[in-house]
Amino acid sequence: MGLFDLFKKPTAESQAAQAESARRQADIQMSLRGGRVPSGTLARLQGAAAGAGPWMATLSPAELMIVRSHGLKPIAAISSTCWLHYGWSWTQGHAQGWETALQRLSQEARACGANAVLDVKMRTIPVGEGESMDFSLVGTAVRVEGLAASPDPIIATVPALEFVKLLEADVVPTGIAIGAHYEWLTDWRGSADAPWMGNTESWQLSNLWESVRSRAHAQLRESARNHGNGVLAHLNFSQMFERERDINEQKVKEYLARHIVIATTVDAKRGTPLPQEFKMMVDMHAGKTPLTGTSRHHQSYATNEQDGAI
Amino acid sequence: MTLDLPTHAQERLKGLRSSAHSSGVFTSDFSVNEFLLVRKAGFEPIGLCVGTCVYHVGIQYGSWSKNQEMDVLSKAMYHARELAMSRMRAEATAMGADGIVGVKLTIKRLEWDEHLLEFIAIGTGVVHGEGHKGFRAHDGGPFTSDLSGQDFWSLLHAGYRPVEMVMGSCVYHVAHRGMLSGLGTTGRNVEMENFTAAMYEAREIAVERMQVEAAAAKAEGVVGVDIHEGSHGWQTHVIEFFAIGTAVLPLEQEIAPEKIADPIMVLSVND
Repeated sequence: MGLFDLFKKPTAESQAAQAESARRQADIQMSLRGGRVPSGTLARLQGAAAGAGPWMATLSPAELMIVRSHGLKPIAAISSTCWLHYGWSWTQGHAQGWETALQRLSQEARACGANAVLDVKMRTIPVGEGESMDFSLVGTAVRVEGLAASPDPIIATVPALEFVKLLEADVVPTGIAIGAHYEWLTDWRGSADAPWMGNTESWQLSNLWESVRSRAHAQLRESARNHGNGVLAHLNFSQMFERERDINEQKVKEYLARHIVIATTVDAKRGTPLPQEFKMMVDMHAGKTPLTGTSRHHQSYATNEQDGAI
Repeated sequence: MTLDLPTHAQERLKGLRSSAHSSGVFTSDFSVNEFLLVRKAGFEPIGLCVGTCVYHVGIQYGSWSKNQEMDVLSKAMYHARELAMSRMRAEATAMGADGIVGVKLTIKRLEWDEHLLEFIAIGTGVVHGEGHKGFRAHDGGPFTSDLSGQDFWSLLHAGYRPVEMVMGSCVYHVAHRGMLSGLGTTGRNVEMENFTAAMYEAREIAVERMQVEAAAAKAEGVVGVDIHEGSHGWQTHVIEFFAIGTAVLPLEQEIAPEKIADPIMVLSVND
């Protein structure tokens, strides 16, 4: 289409395409509201379950190899999204957004007759539509040969290699647990920020963090209880903000602390010795070794990276 | 002064050692490890294959408040990639390659014109060491794959061979908010359903297009599927959803799962 085409009437073809797109979008919205997989996607997934088309896997060939050798077969690459506008709480919105995306992902997994979803990655598109964020999950639905399809497929936010390593150790990664909490601190006496004091702990802020983090973790534990008996918390995200406000003609500083922790839940049989043998090895690599380097798995909380793990 | 080198090294330096390639010198962008693994897998590199296409992408405006595919842009991205890929493949065919591994497909914007995009496909053409032709794609031409040499080796050992790099693209305009302007910041957390629907529709279109390509290549499956989003200097709400992967087929003689060796776990003890 050139610039002048703007003034032309739409062709019959483009009108039909637009009508089709409108129909599809309406179907997507209605289906998601009703807790169902959109019909276009459903048809593709059911086809994949029946072996009608080629299977799809986000796995690398090495992962495909180990997955096959452990009796798993990829079915389809599946994904889900919940784009949420934060009304009252950014922090709680994260728990809500991921929960919704998670439910939608497991519906897609069920639709293709899977036992598990591996390699689930959290993704966010940086469109920058203020006060909102998209919570997207992408993963590979797999079937375990010899097992019937599961009514409640497990969702593993670990790469396929790690998934298999865990299975061998009789640990089943089962889902995602989320803890998110925030608190405001109003510093009436201005003692949190006291530069004249020299070396001293800012105990209000320490307490604020203590409180926020422990509540986020308590929530994490609660949320994990539905899926398993432990968590591997891979993702810790925290932020603190300061702002000054006039309250009753007094300048008061307020602090906001938020903490989000996202974990893979595991169902681990405790007390069983690990069957695998490990070989000790001296790596002759100078500098960064490929043995210890792992690429980043999730992409949604990149901004917190420079802070390091908490 | 005469060089006192072993005969084969001298021949190598003169470019006479490889019988696979008419000019005797192979070119590749392999790392040392990739090179060794591709050879271990039974293949020899013969030459770098390149395809480029500088494409003038047309103009299309999405209407402000509407979710819609930008079909002009989608078609442009498709067509340009297709041209770059097929040119690369033609080079490979010309040098008698059985396949191309490590294909890197990149898009560059050209500084002086915002509508010009440069598409580059580059990979290493390989031949089977024993002249086995069974690795070629369904049309008898070279297979294409974005897998690295390491991945190529692993794939063969998983019992599969690469057939074709498959992709699906959908350039999509995500509507601007408007329906939400009435919602204050104190309201509930609400899902922005039209945004969610935009993501679903665009992703589904991209994945379906990739699946069609895989089916056309008569593949059994697709590995290394990556669905990502990119913006190539378009308006802020115009996003390309791009699905890419390598379509695969089982080897002539399928490897039984129990024959696949378990990897050895090691603990690096330095530092």
